[in-house]
Amino acid sequence: MSIKKVGVVGAGTMGQGIAEMLASKGLDVHLIEISEERLTYGQQMIELSLDKQIEKWALTQAEKKLIMNRIHMTVSYDALAECELVIETITEDLESKKAVISQIDDICGADVILASNTSTLSLTELASASAHPERVIGLHFIYPVLKIDLVEIVRGLKTSEDTFASTKHFVEEIIHKKGVMVFESPGFVTSRLICLFINEALHVLEEGVASAEDIDSAMRIGYSFQHGPFEMADRFGLDSVLAALDRMFREYGELKYRPSIVLKKMVRAGQLGAKTGVGFFKYDKDGDRI
Amino acid sequence: MKVLVINAGSSSLKYQLYDMRDESVLASGRVERIGMDSSIVTHEPADKPEVRDVSEILDHVTAVKKVIDMLTHAEYGAVATMDEIQAVGHRVVHGGEVFNSSTLVTPEVKLEIRRLFDLAPLHNPAHMMGITAVEANMPGVPQAVVFDTAFHQSMPNTSYLYPIPQVLYRRHKVRRYGFHGTSHQYVSQQGAELLGKPLKSLKMVTAHIGNGASCTAILDGKSFDTSMGMTPLEGLMMGTRSGDLDPAIVPFVMNKEELTLNEVNSMLNKHSGMLAISGISSDMREVTEAMEEGDRNAKLAFDMYTYRVRKYIGAYAAAMNGIDVLLFTAGVGENSSALRKAVCDGITFLGIELDEEKNAKRSKEARVISTEASRVKVLVVPTNEELLIARDTYTLVQAQAAGETNV
Repeated sequence: MSIKKVGVVGAGTMGQGIAEMLASKGLDVHLIEISEERLTYGQQMIELSLDKQIEKWALTQAEKKLIMNRIHMTVSYDALAECELVIETITEDLESKKAVISQIDDICGADVILASNTSTLSLTELASASAHPERVIGLHFIYPVLKIDLVEIVRGLKTSEDTFASTKHFVEEIIHKKGVMVFESPGFVTSRLICLFINEALHVLEEGVASAEDIDSAMRIGYSFQHGPFEMADRFGLDSVLAALDRMFREYGELKYRPSIVLKKMVRAGQLGAKTGVGFFKYDKDGDRI
Repeated sequence: MKVLVINAGSSSLKYQLYDMRDESVLASGRVERIGMDSSIVTHEPADKPEVRDVSEILDHVTAVKKVIDMLTHAEYGAVATMDEIQAVGHRVVHGGEVFNSSTLVTPEVKLEIRRLFDLAPLHNPAHMMGITAVEANMPGVPQAVVFDTAFHQSMPNTSYLYPIPQVLYRRHKVRRYGFHGTSHQYVSQQGAELLGKPLKSLKMVTAHIGNGASCTAILDGKSFDTSMGMTPLEGLMMGTRSGDLDPAIVPFVMNKEELTLNEVNSMLNKHSGMLAISGISSDMREVTEAMEEGDRNAKLAFDMYTYRVRKYIGAYAAAMNGIDVLLFTAGVGENSSALRKAVCDGITFLGIELDEEKNAKRSKEARVISTEASRVKVLVVPTNEELLIARDTYTLVQAQAAGETNV
């Protein structure tokens, strides 16, 4: 089956990025949120992102218009009936995700692929909310979705071979990203390794070994990372990093996943990184380092 | 014989149906927004009003079927049945080093066109879809492919090689290919005919100036050098393309502005050229108008644009050790008398003398616009790539029917 229309449920940071990326690749997107306000906000953020690309000469005004025309915003799930793939990307909470999956399940035909963008939750458990667990799969995109050409394709216990094959084809042939197959496991490959990296950097900082700026420089320049661990955490959102570490700590029960105290403190203080303007570093409203 | 000419893009398809007895166009049209549920077909039969139809056309196979439906339609069709269309000719942008002339489609030819996807990722895959779509809809009808690069395959290696490590040429075929070949070839033949002289006897510079623009030096009737390179970005300044620049600018700007490959590619192809300098438009008419109203940036854009055309003409006159004919063609070249004047006025030392009256006159015909006394003849020749594709297709199919193998 060729995939031309994709539903995206949830217009948060990841939902915006996924919708924008899909529309840039020429696909029709139905973007769904629970309220008009959140939809409007999502739309503004996507437009802002496209405008930034125009500033960087990546797009023309005409191309921006074409992309926006391909994204259809709605609060109703009905539009999902005509999609060949639906990607769920709401907040990382098991019960909410299960509720959304069951809702999508009622509207979409049995051959429609149902993907979740979860980074830490159990796919098998999410799939249990569907009457057809074999069509449920994980598609873990990485922020910023438009720029990072890697997707973890996550197989739950009941995910069928067909679902996997179609999803892999979609990832590699239609949106032209590298798809790596991972089996269900908290944090998969990417979140597990990167969160441990960030957590260890926090320990180094706590111990007073080096400043955040110097730790970032060391890893960025020394090992060709685009951003060091702290700027990376600022860009992911410190709350997301904390949530992922918490979940992995609970699931694996190993101390190495226990979130650093500094991280907890900063999240409690509302210093969540680029999106709030302050994290380990300071950012302007466009998310650029000050 | 009736020949259908197809130019397939990724989401569009243009077509013309020719009657080769008198080379008349029986119908033409285009399918737009292929892959959408509201695709538009615009069909223009000769001597009948235009027809527009909106429907769901999800792929090229359906698009070609739609074109055939239009062409055979009882009311606004151009032929009674599909069988009357005896050959199909396709435009293919990149023929690499393999194709130095038009050729009939065979499984080997298709394989070669596929191998060239790397060099023309935006164009060749779409052309391939056009070819397979015709196969699906019109089984058994011979097809020919006409390449934009083929005419330039006659260039000597002094013209086509770049002075960079030759392993890049061997590994990735990095070299000058040139484009608009069909147009340069067609207008050079028409130009020689107009002058009543054999093409081989003329040293000619053809300036194809449209949205994209390129100059070609034609010596002994063959392409000797051309301004576009491995991609259509090199050479003249264009509507939105930069043309020639110091290659070191690319890494420098990427570093300073933190640009990705995509961004810098898009910058040079879509945000540069006349659009970048004028800040107004990529369209020569709009820039010329603004310039006449006193806009300084528009004047700068116009001056830079014409200056770069002059430089290429001078370079090619030197490359050929002479110039007998300067020929303008394509949208801007055929219609902008201001551009032609600005170009010619600066290179009188070559023996170019423009007849201002003839230059200012608008016409759809091929014509001489230099004075009687002018040593170098300046011509305007309307290009017609579709007709050349139809002619090549016709010749190839006839030859095949006559049992010849090598054409």
